[in-house]
Amino acid sequence: MIRLAIKDLRLFASDRRAIILSFVVPIALVTLFAFAFGGVGQKKGESRPATIVIADEDKSEASINVIAKLDSLKELEVYQTTRDSAEAMVKKGDETAVLVFHKGFADSVNAGTKLPVEFEYDASKEAEVGILQGSLIGNLMGIIGGKSMAKEAIANFDKENPSIEEDSRKRIHEQITQNFSSGETKKQSASFITSTPLIAEKQNSPGLIHAVAGTSVMMLLFSVVGMGVSLLDEKEQGTLKKLLYSPIRPDTILFGKMLYVNLISIFQLVIMFIFAKLAFGLDIMPHLTSLILMIIATAYACSSFGVLLASIAKSRQQVQAFSTLIVMIMSCIGGSMIPSFAMPVFMQKMSVFSVNYWSIQGFYDIFWRMLPLQDSTFLSRLVVLVLIGTTLNIIALIMFRRNILKIA
Amino acid sequence: MITVFNLCKSYDSIEALKGISFDIQKGEFYGLLGPNGAGKTTTISILSTILKPDQGEVTIAGFDLQKNPMECKKHIGVVPQELALYNDLTAYANLQFWGSLYDISATTLNTRIDETLHLFGLYDRRNDKVKTYSGGMKRRINIASALLHRPDVLFMDEPTVGIDPQSRNLIFEVMEKLHKEGMTIVYTTHYMEEAERLCNRIGIIDKGRIIAQGTLDELKSSSDIDETIMITFSNLTDTHYDRLAESFDVSKAGDHAIRFISKAVQRDLSVIILKCHEAGLDITDVSIQKINLETIFLRLTGKQLRD
Repeated sequence: MIRLAIKDLRLFASDRRAIILSFVVPIALVTLFAFAFGGVGQKKGESRPATIVIADEDKSEASINVIAKLDSLKELEVYQTTRDSAEAMVKKGDETAVLVFHKGFADSVNAGTKLPVEFEYDASKEAEVGILQGSLIGNLMGIIGGKSMAKEAIANFDKENPSIEEDSRKRIHEQITQNFSSGETKKQSASFITSTPLIAEKQNSPGLIHAVAGTSVMMLLFSVVGMGVSLLDEKEQGTLKKLLYSPIRPDTILFGKMLYVNLISIFQLVIMFIFAKLAFGLDIMPHLTSLILMIIATAYACSSFGVLLASIAKSRQQVQAFSTLIVMIMSCIGGSMIPSFAMPVFMQKMSVFSVNYWSIQGFYDIFWRMLPLQDSTFLSRLVVLVLIGTTLNIIALIMFRRNILKIA
Repeated sequence: MITVFNLCKSYDSIEALKGISFDIQKGEFYGLLGPNGAGKTTTISILSTILKPDQGEVTIAGFDLQKNPMECKKHIGVVPQELALYNDLTAYANLQFWGSLYDISATTLNTRIDETLHLFGLYDRRNDKVKTYSGGMKRRINIASALLHRPDVLFMDEPTVGIDPQSRNLIFEVMEKLHKEGMTIVYTTHYMEEAERLCNRIGIIDKGRIIAQGTLDELKSSSDIDETIMITFSNLTDTHYDRLAESFDVSKAGDHAIRFISKAVQRDLSVIILKCHEAGLDITDVSIQKINLETIFLRLTGKQLRD
């Protein structure tokens, strides 16, 4: 029994693929998921700053001061721009929310009335919106309701009312101070700023869109690897060599394989979206043209990945060893498993290297953000997917000529 | 139909072909024989356009192989040694696919598929998946798939390896029929009897060179041997062999037998037996073999064909 076990251990030790699958792949995935879900890479107690885009339409001393104080907070990363630009960023999915300081902000601060501050957000990013809202309301309460703001309001009051009687001035000063620090104001925190969903709730829930798009793309990547591997099967079965005897150009063999993988990929995605419509009511009909284009671009990019892997690898076993790792990494950083906005910043930055990211964002553009076909953001995602596909296909062709055709 | 001149090919530091030259006329059944590593597969790979030579010239059906490989491909059919078929497709679907790679109309192709299936005795099984076929049936479909475009030249690389006698005979009959119809066939095999039965001209290749070429009769007449005497012993050792090799032209035929090459068996046999007794060898069997391809090959290469 021990001899049998030792023999199997020896065989295992000599099987590089088994070692990679047993140790390297799990270690790599554990590391990746630890970064994505477990907050690894952050110091204890430290949370990554949430980004808020601010549009200051008041441009008063008060609004500038408040924005500067928000910017100085560790938990917030503030980015200022015009309201139109900020809203466009949110609508296109680049940012989660915009905080608008409307005209009259300074007057409201002085008068102690409801502040004309509006929090406009993308409801699809529910978790991030919640974090931002909580952080902003708390900090704004602290800043605007703090002693500093009270002092500022008193100073403004004194400046504008220099001839008021001293007794009245004291009473009003006390009232202002009380207004800024009263528990009553804090209780009214929910209505402290106005919250408006910039992208209105629609029939297609962001969760459903994410589930369909994220899962479809991830599963497609697994499928295309299997399909691409048929190229290596042809090599191992001798049919590739036999194809080379026939009067077709060697590159045509690869192009034929690419066409096959593309067609199956398109079909797979179409089936997934039809299923999502029938089973979960995903409303695909109003966006049919955009959806078809995004499906074709996604299928093109994903299939090129499958064909590339098959062109680089020397055997089916080699592909199987590495494809699981690569697809899992791409799916994780690209947002197939969890939405990319919920991941650490460095992983969000890495997500652009994943087919999943561009594809999922494209499907969000269609079903959630309702971007028209001509919209530059939507088109840019299509272009990126096509570029990814073309680049990978070119590399696949070079590798095919170098690796696969050396069979004689 | 095929001219090969000064063909050279090296793999890193190994010279697989050292400037071989030969011609094959239209309608010839040409056997290319050689031990493993002699350069047969390299030659066939170059002639079938999937390997580029380092040097040399090849023309097939009047087309320069290097300048016009696509035209050459249209005129050749290749039956590789390995079974190159799609096992999950039916025989008919396989033939339809392989035939569709050539410029044949769908109607003509379908007619040819039916004819070819009848020819190879597989028409009744045409709609069965190839994976359900026996080894011999797969071999037949493998050959059939190379014939649909009616090539001028057919390259066959050991097409009968590992098959049953029934399939082998059927393949021979088809090959002979195609040859009679005027097809040029280049055939490599490890089986001497196949080469003797099928080929009307034979080239023997060894260590990257063609060392002999001609019809079987030409090869026999050019050989310096007439017959071989095969003697089997019960106590043969290397010492015995070395001692006999000092006096006779011998080669080993397995662990217990020695092949003596002779130009006059009547004269040599008694001398050989006497020397064997003197060496202390115990003879268990004596046989005399007429000259054949096997003995010519052995004489030329020092190896048996299956070595």
